[in-house]
Amino acid sequence: MRFAFTDEQLAFRDAARDLLARECPPSYVRSAWTGDGVDARKVWFALAEMGVLGALLEASAVDVILVIEETGYAAVPEPVVEHAMVGVPLLPDIIDGQHTITASDDPKCVVPFADRADRFLLLVDKRLVLVGQQGVVALDNLESVDGARRSAIVDYSRVETQFSERETTQAFDRGALGTAAQLIGLTRRMLDMTVEYVKERQQFGVPIGSFQAVKHHLADARIALEFARPLVYRAAWTMSEGDPDASVHVSMAKAMAGNAALLTARKALQCHGAIGYSYEYDLHLFMKRAWALAAAWGDAAFHRASVGRAIL
Amino acid sequence: MNIAVFVKQIPDPALPGELDADHTLKREGKLVLDESDSYGVEMALQLVDKAGGGEVTLVSMAPNNEVSGLRTALAMGAAKAILISDDALAGSDALSTAKVLAKAVERAGEVDLVMAATESTDGYTGTTPAQVAELLGWPSLTFAKHVEIGDGKVTIQRQTEAGYDVVESSLPAVVSVTAGVVEPRYPSFKGIMAAKNKPVDEVKVTDLGLTAEQVGWAGARQQITNVEAAPARAAGEKIEDDGAAHEQVVAFLEKLKVI
Repeated sequence: MRFAFTDEQLAFRDAARDLLARECPPSYVRSAWTGDGVDARKVWFALAEMGVLGALLEASAVDVILVIEETGYAAVPEPVVEHAMVGVPLLPDIIDGQHTITASDDPKCVVPFADRADRFLLLVDKRLVLVGQQGVVALDNLESVDGARRSAIVDYSRVETQFSERETTQAFDRGALGTAAQLIGLTRRMLDMTVEYVKERQQFGVPIGSFQAVKHHLADARIALEFARPLVYRAAWTMSEGDPDASVHVSMAKAMAGNAALLTARKALQCHGAIGYSYEYDLHLFMKRAWALAAAWGDAAFHRASVGRAIL
Repeated sequence: MNIAVFVKQIPDPALPGELDADHTLKREGKLVLDESDSYGVEMALQLVDKAGGGEVTLVSMAPNNEVSGLRTALAMGAAKAILISDDALAGSDALSTAKVLAKAVERAGEVDLVMAATESTDGYTGTTPAQVAELLGWPSLTFAKHVEIGDGKVTIQRQTEAGYDVVESSLPAVVSVTAGVVEPRYPSFKGIMAAKNKPVDEVKVTDLGLTAEQVGWAGARQQITNVEAAPARAAGEKIEDDGAAHEQVVAFLEKLKVI
């Protein structure tokens, strides 16, 4: 038996990778910080056209996981996980990109990409509820560590639907899994950027990447990535198969992927030196997304506790 | 409107190319759709769409029954493919390739138009489309940056150094397109899933009515005797400005015919 991604799953990943390399360069992510992009939502519509946003209606988590990972690699400034992973299976009529779902498990109803969404999935009394545009009283914008996430607190007056406990748990798992996949993508991106940088940056007449202390940092990051990645793919597989342990696998994946991203962010910053701290340099676009996502849909401590409860 | 599009499957251009002992390009691993062919595929899909009927058939010659690149083009929307894969084809020159492709076009049935890239990204001969046209006895239109079909005719804008010429011919014809002709679409999820089940007609040289002697090393009219690395770039000419350097610069530019 060949236990690996199928040619179609890889082709879907490659198509998304090509699209995002072209349409979502760091300059595009940066423009989302200020919100004044010319074609502010062109990537969203391109992903809709490619079938990414509605893919989960016809395909399983394992079919889309590599594509979601690519959206992390590109730090797409759109609610891809919230819409495609969390929202669409609950609201199957909304897939054409004309509507945008955002979602969050935050107890204070802080949602990312608030100003882009017209459907809000909020966690209220441990159940997800749907708030439509008419139900929103106000969006209180928040200063977010990742400016491209454009977070806001949703103040609402009316709830359209309340989802069941089971639906809520499953949606939460999909959110955590999608976020874990994006964290893997971000980790790869930060590592790629840093490897390129240390090969180029010279000190004492040689590239700094030739120093063992620098190599160790990068090796640590790579090991964290390679330990987390199979857990994410395993969780996607067991979720697709309806395995009763899928939820535990998602927790393992999210905890490990979050830690890998945080570690890599630190190592990347260290190896870049002062330039890494510069607002003008692109590293922070990915680093801050990693910080935000490591805390979203349960942080590592939360998910470790879940794993602990499951095995004890 | 039925259009046949030539697509070449090439080693990933992002990887360093390697040569075999016989000086031909190594083509062992997974091959990808030559990006320059994606423009022809897209143009063909748009023309078929505009015509309101017909289909796009891909024609590819590749070793080891390689279909990875074909699947990409099928995922974009082509209906079917003919793949010619035969050990006898190893060492084929451009003309042998053209013979095979021309026969494959005949096998494809009723074809109104053949589309090809101007040249492949790994071979760069740029001669195959015109050779195919000659073998089929069809008009050859090259370097198209814009293609239109109407009234049983094909009209193209042929890229020139100064701008473009408008060239028109009857159908069927062979058109080679440049990279700027259209923006190729990205394969969609549905397209990728559908491509899995689209027919690929795998044929051998003899199925096309050719013999092994007519193609490959046996049929090639060229020999590769040696391969050498390109010479390193020679140092440029340095001009010290003693007040008259501008005259030398002007003379240099005149020699290049840029002024």
